[in-house]
Amino acid sequence: MKRIVFLLVLALMLVVVAACGSDTNQEASGNADENQQGSNVEENNQDSTVEYPTKNIQIIVPYSAGGGGDTVARILADALSEELGKQINVINREGAGGEIGIAEMARSEADGYTLGVFGYPDNFVLENTRDTDFSFDSFEYLAAFDDMPMGIFAGPGSDFETIEDLIEFGEANPGSITLGESGALGLLHILAFSDIIGVQTTPVTFSGGGELMNSLLGNHVDLASTSSMSHDSIVDAGGHPIGFAAPERMAMFPDVPTFKELGFDLEMGVSRVLVAPTGLPEEVKEVLTTALDNIGNDPALKERFEAAALPYRYLGNEDVTEFLNRSNSVLEPVIQQNIDRFKN
Amino acid sequence: MDAFQIFLNTLSPSVLIIIFIGVLIGIIVGAIPGLNGAIGISLLLPMTFALEPQIGLLLLGGIYMGGMYGGSITAILLNVPGDVVAAPAAMEGYPLTKQGRAKEALYYSIFSSMFGGFIGVIILILFTPPLASFALKFGPAEMFFIALSGLVIIGALGGNLYKSAFAVLFGLFISTIGVDLIAGSERFTMGSADLRSGISVVPVVLGLFCLAEMFLNIGKKSNEVTTYKDQSIKRMTVIKDIVRQKFLVLKSSFIGTCIGLLPGVGTTLAVFMSYGEAKRVSKKRDQFEKGNTEGIIAAESANNATVGSSMVPLLALGVPGSPTTAIIAGALIIHGIILGPSLFVQRPDVAYTFLYGMLLTVVAMAIIGAVGIKYFSYILKVKMEYIVPTVLVFALFGAYSLRNSIFDVFIAIVLGIVGAIFKKIAVPLAPIIIGVVLGPLIETNLARSMVIAEARQLSLPHYMLSNPLAIFLLVMVAVLFVVVIKMRTKTE
Repeated sequence: MKRIVFLLVLALMLVVVAACGSDTNQEASGNADENQQGSNVEENNQDSTVEYPTKNIQIIVPYSAGGGGDTVARILADALSEELGKQINVINREGAGGEIGIAEMARSEADGYTLGVFGYPDNFVLENTRDTDFSFDSFEYLAAFDDMPMGIFAGPGSDFETIEDLIEFGEANPGSITLGESGALGLLHILAFSDIIGVQTTPVTFSGGGELMNSLLGNHVDLASTSSMSHDSIVDAGGHPIGFAAPERMAMFPDVPTFKELGFDLEMGVSRVLVAPTGLPEEVKEVLTTALDNIGNDPALKERFEAAALPYRYLGNEDVTEFLNRSNSVLEPVIQQNIDRFKN
Repeated sequence: MDAFQIFLNTLSPSVLIIIFIGVLIGIIVGAIPGLNGAIGISLLLPMTFALEPQIGLLLLGGIYMGGMYGGSITAILLNVPGDVVAAPAAMEGYPLTKQGRAKEALYYSIFSSMFGGFIGVIILILFTPPLASFALKFGPAEMFFIALSGLVIIGALGGNLYKSAFAVLFGLFISTIGVDLIAGSERFTMGSADLRSGISVVPVVLGLFCLAEMFLNIGKKSNEVTTYKDQSIKRMTVIKDIVRQKFLVLKSSFIGTCIGLLPGVGTTLAVFMSYGEAKRVSKKRDQFEKGNTEGIIAAESANNATVGSSMVPLLALGVPGSPTTAIIAGALIIHGIILGPSLFVQRPDVAYTFLYGMLLTVVAMAIIGAVGIKYFSYILKVKMEYIVPTVLVFALFGAYSLRNSIFDVFIAIVLGIVGAIFKKIAVPLAPIIIGVVLGPLIETNLARSMVIAEARQLSLPHYMLSNPLAIFLLVMVAVLFVVVIKMRTKTE
């Protein structure tokens, strides 16, 4: 009898250790390895060659499992680990709209063994609207992989067919159009959109994408501000897009107009970036950017992104930094103008 | 014919094995305090990328189903619910265990889970399109009333009325910590980024139920249960008794199904509502919390019924209603499968294999549970001095693994101490959890209603009661309130 109990407990323990080992073991053994690694680096520095990577790498994702950012991180972890020949673990560290996970990335050691994936401009909106422990310069931006514009969608049977309907009604009834959103970027998009079309609207905040969709499809809000990723589900359920805040029409959705061609100069979107904390050793950065360029320019990765309804656009280390700086200068005035809407 | 072919394919060995493995993993992670189905699913998510989509989905579906049941095992045997949804199972099952009726309680739990799970999946298969459009009718106002009814049902749970009220207020207070979602202002965060994202339910449950129980057991050498001889009971006797109470099973599964449909509401409310309802109508009300099998039947059939129905909005509309279904959606997205009405047209193989496979997860759960019960109850023979440290380690580990956060471990320990004190002074713990779960629902949906009402230039009551469903829900809340008050005055 006792033996069976013992076996049962043992089996339970084994399963748990095996199942959760990916996180904890990683960290426990990671610390031990780090010390070793540290001395290795010192020795190797004298020969001016750094062995990287010599152990498993972790990618922090500041969102919960299952969303777009998480999907990107998992596809990348898979492709990058094949390229580098080391296991790469994805760790979800969600909370406070991404702030907790992004802060943790910024805090981690810049040794190339902790990387992060998040959707720009989440970090930029956070640092400009809250008292965060990180800033734009806390990170080395290694690459960007997709370019997903925000869009405005109407629910099933909505009276708003086109942006003109919306403007006409909105001008006659200021503040009466309700626009649902979830997340800081969704709100920012609503504020910029309302500004640019000159209509006063009422943003309604939802706790997650699921609740937002339910409210849009059930006509509890008039419109929703969300990314192009939701296009198919919304259209399938009888809703329709009003327009995308994209620079040009998307290859995936050639029928959806951009706000630009409708006469409104609004571009806003999410771009998933792979980052490391600032201060990455030059050699490590070199290894990583070469590997990222290799997988980034591989059509196989593009295919995987597009299969998951993620519009692929690869930007290497130099391009991404330039792109983000340009984008920051566009976003900053919008955020500052509406700073009181973000309250904090 | 086509659907029949897919059904036959579902019976292939590889599918059956995956289903079995999924359910087994689910039961194990469910039984371990702090781990639950959602965590098991997110750990195994990367594995599904390599599998065919329908196979990978069934692995996750199996974990979901098994995880809903697994928590009840440790709840009944050790008074340590492996998951929030198993809390009522601890309230009714552990007293039975103390009377030497552990096996009976376990049988009630597994077979009620089976019936509930079965009903949920059948509803998923037969009524997905109409139910999905029903779920869409729930806007901020309707959600507010549903959450309110959950708060009222606390009155039906046991304990001193004032102490219950204190407990629920304490829970509501915990739920206010963090950045308020609507206005964006910080509440009780003391400048800490961890507190800003609020206190999640899992560490609270672990602290109040697992750690508190273990803290109180420190110093006890033997498990007090071992002094009783475990009575044997036949499986068929239990099944017959459950079938005899078909009305209770159906009603509880119905409550589970309805609540499971609504995005963001969660299983906790479903479980406590059907448990409270079972107690309200029971002829043996005074036996509740002293070991009443009706309570087990109600709670267990309700939680497994939510598994099927929570997938209705996901499959029909691409709306993931819970963290678990969001991860399942992620598994589909990475395979390039678009969720929504066209899923059944474009990928019927995936959709139907998944639906039929979910029925098989119920069968697998029933088999593993019914066979395993003999072995589960050996836990009672283990000395307390081994159980306490084991559960403590698992619980702390579980608190950590939710968000990989040491802060959550700290929260769990603090609430463990609070829970131990509350137990000593007989403050009921379940209302605290309900408060934590319902606080944000009530608050954000009321705030959303206010925002929308203002935009539409309506008064708040006018907006909130602008459709028959909302009025019906309000009447239900009011009736429930009166009934619960009457019930309390009668018993006291």
